[in-house]
Amino acid sequence: MKMTFNFGSFLSARSVVGETLHELGQKHNNVWALTADTGGALATFKKDFPDRFIDTGVAEQNCAGIAAGLALEGNIPFIAGMIPFMTMRACEQNRTAICYQDLPVRFIGTGGGLTSGGGSTHNAMEDISIMKSLVNMTVLSIGDPNMIRDIMILSMDYPHPLYIRLAQGKKDRMLYEPGTRTYKIGEGITARDGKDATIIAHGEMVYVALEAAKTLAAEGIEVRVIDMYSIKPLNKNLLLKAVKETRNIVVLEDHLMEGGLASVIADAFVDGNIYPENFKRLGIPQVFAGFGSGEELRKKYGYDDTATVAVIKQMLK
Amino acid sequence: MADPKEVKRLEELAYEMRKKLINLCGAYDGVVHIGGDLSMTDLLIGLYHHGMRVDPSDIKSPTRDRFLLSKGHGAVCMYIAMCLRGYFDYDEIVKTYGRLDSAYGMHPCKIQLPGVECSTGSLGQGLAIAVGLAFSARQRKEAHRVFCMMGDGETCEGEVWEAANTAGSYKLGNLVGIIDRNKQLMTSFDGDYMRLEPYADKWRAFNWDVVELDGHDMGQIIDALDNLPPITNEKPTVLIASTIKGKGVSFMEKNVGWHAGALSKEDTEKAIADIEADYAGERSAA
Ligand SMILES: Cc1ncc(C[n+]2csc(CCOP(=O)(O)OP(=O)(O)O)c2C)c(N)n1
Repeated sequence: MKMTFNFGSFLSARSVVGETLHELGQKHNNVWALTADTGGALATFKKDFPDRFIDTGVAEQNCAGIAAGLALEGNIPFIAGMIPFMTMRACEQNRTAICYQDLPVRFIGTGGGLTSGGGSTHNAMEDISIMKSLVNMTVLSIGDPNMIRDIMILSMDYPHPLYIRLAQGKKDRMLYEPGTRTYKIGEGITARDGKDATIIAHGEMVYVALEAAKTLAAEGIEVRVIDMYSIKPLNKNLLLKAVKETRNIVVLEDHLMEGGLASVIADAFVDGNIYPENFKRLGIPQVFAGFGSGEELRKKYGYDDTATVAVIKQMLK
Repeated sequence: MADPKEVKRLEELAYEMRKKLINLCGAYDGVVHIGGDLSMTDLLIGLYHHGMRVDPSDIKSPTRDRFLLSKGHGAVCMYIAMCLRGYFDYDEIVKTYGRLDSAYGMHPCKIQLPGVECSTGSLGQGLAIAVGLAFSARQRKEAHRVFCMMGDGETCEGEVWEAANTAGSYKLGNLVGIIDRNKQLMTSFDGDYMRLEPYADKWRAFNWDVVELDGHDMGQIIDALDNLPPITNEKPTVLIASTIKGKGVSFMEKNVGWHAGALSKEDTEKAIADIEADYAGERSAA
């Protein structure tokens, strides 16, 4: 797949998932694709490997159970779906059929945060909280649509359940030029360096954080931006370094503030006796966020780039 | 047999409703679940304008029939059926549909839009909630019915059958399920992967009375609703309505690409022309 890289321009992460899955299916005859009637991007896989493609219809629990069965026999099932239904309808199957048996099922969910536009039934604001609480589950959140390819490839050697939260899935902003970085479970990326404060973000909020950092730079405030794509496990060294070097930490995420990356980081602070000078979180408050585009809702609930800039300026006063 | 005048009245309403759906879709800059809206248009007209005892001026009346749209992605179809019945204002729907803070969202929200009985959009949950309403009505000796509209694809969800089993076991004769049997899911046709047939037998096996009908034939819709058994019936009833996804618009009918979509100006005009021709009986078979 050859394409030109333009920072901030759009690409469909779902189409990257479709292409990569097809590639993996060719290389590994134990790779399966499963979906509960949301496999629009899996056309080439199902065409070439129909005996390793299962569409269960609108039945997410069933899908998770079947994936567990496949994995018990040494297969690597990828489930593609919409986040709320994949993580909530099938929650107990994910926990007990998959995580309890520590099976290498891959969940790839689209519509992270409030990006779906479908309102509160379709918003995904609890998924990280839910999935990270499952023992044995690894949780990644990926905004850059090219990054998902590398992650899927490296997941082939990962013997545990893996949840990957994507942003909207149809229109996702490119952040990193393909081939210029190596990704690893348990790592993070310093997407921009700075010494005055650090914004830690994941998913599509990394772009928003970079925008905020740009605005602040024009006012002489140098902000570091960390793309903490691996939420569980968390890169504590990267976190500690940010606290030491920039003292001020802001977490920005498209998730309920309670239970998301901010909570994971707060846990790490408590466990490690780490005390930043300032620690703030921006994200979704305890509301059913309702209808509107992701951008509109971010603004409404106060976690867009403008809000981030304001919080950091206040913090550094 | 349905009164021909009533059939005509409802057919005209359905015709108007299809045009309103298309015009809304054309005016909106995002996607609308137009395929499944057009497949249940006639059924919703039949329910809101003939079969159900509802009163838009008294939306909390304890004696009203209850309607749950389990296939919540068809919200706009329900909004317009209700709007034609006098619940809402069409221009207001068009102006605000799907926008920030709108009461008229892509999936119905009971709290934001009084008149909606239940917030839905996550498929497969409606029937169990309807069973709860039906239990309550029976225990309180209330005479209304509970209607629950489901997509056929939606009935792949296990919860639907758990609820169906309960309703059959507890002999909830005041419960009426309606299946928009358009034989399409979101990304495939029935039979490509999941096979729902023998569909009516499945419901019968769960102790439901089954009525099969053409969901685009207003006479049959009226007959089915007029001939529902009394609420003391020993079984719940399911109306399995054979429908066409995208009904009335040639380029949408049975086209997987039109589960949901956005309409250009040109397509809007073409769709309206199709609906007019369809209504006049002039359109050649798709
Ligand atoms: C639990 C859940 N899973 C997935 C979806 C996404 N989705 C919306 S509509 C749809 C297909 C529904 O098919 P069907 O019930 O037949 O509806 P219709 O064809 O009448 O539109 C899917 C998978 C959802 N809304 N809820």
